[in-house]
Amino acid sequence: MRLYHASFCETLRYQGGIGALVWILHRITGVGILLLVSMHVMAAFFMNALDDPISTAITRWYESRPVQVFVYFCVLYHALNGLRILLEDLYPPLLRYHRELIWLQWAIFIPVFGLPAFFIARGIVVSGS
Amino acid sequence: MRRSRECNGLEYYLWLFTRLSAILMLCAGAAGIVYANMWGRSVMDASAQYRWAFFPIYWHVQNTDVPDVFPLWSNAFWRVWCTILLFVASLHGFNGLRVVAEDYIHPPVLLLLVKGLIALLFMFVCGAGTVIIFEWF
Repeated sequence: MRLYHASFCETLRYQGGIGALVWILHRITGVGILLLVSMHVMAAFFMNALDDPISTAITRWYESRPVQVFVYFCVLYHALNGLRILLEDLYPPLLRYHRELIWLQWAIFIPVFGLPAFFIARGIVVSGS
Repeated sequence: MRRSRECNGLEYYLWLFTRLSAILMLCAGAAGIVYANMWGRSVMDASAQYRWAFFPIYWHVQNTDVPDVFPLWSNAFWRVWCTILLFVASLHGFNGLRVVAEDYIHPPVLLLLVKGLIALLFMFVCGAGTVIIFEWF
């Protein structure tokens, strides 16, 4: 069997419909969470151990509004899509309603992401900054 | 969503671990948000909600608006709980990064190097996180 290797850019251009979109978004948001959380843990560690200005700057950047919106997008999308994959793997008959479940997932995601993201971006629920 | 690579034992157990740790993290995050919004004295801002959802240990949540954080959330149980959560979440994340790396990096030597780097980062994040949780600095 010969495996076809698709590059990242080819995957973005692939017209595979909604399934390909949620799959690549799951990857992007997963890597995003990993990057931000690892950076946060390391910055907290070096800030406590060395008290260096770089860690302090990273922590300040981490608490800024665009990053908060991005973290919220990544975590909420990854959690909802992961929950859908989990349900489909635990109970395979649900795979008959695969597309409907994806639309349900977007129907939950858009208001649950959009409303708090709007408030965060307008600075309504962010104290301090 | 199914991966079409050969399924040896370790690969299967990591696949299963990804699902089980997802259940754990979803429940822990939901419980943290519900607790914070039940006991918070006012409407909490976004970063306070994040702090409670991801990592409910007292030094992480003591500036939020929930009263009596210090005696309740500083005992050994919550430190061990947060350590477990950190290790489970890191393994979930770095294992996911390994799967992504295996999909996009084809030269075997480069892949081995990248996987070694991922393992090193995993160990460093776990170690640094444990030091912070137990305040050993």
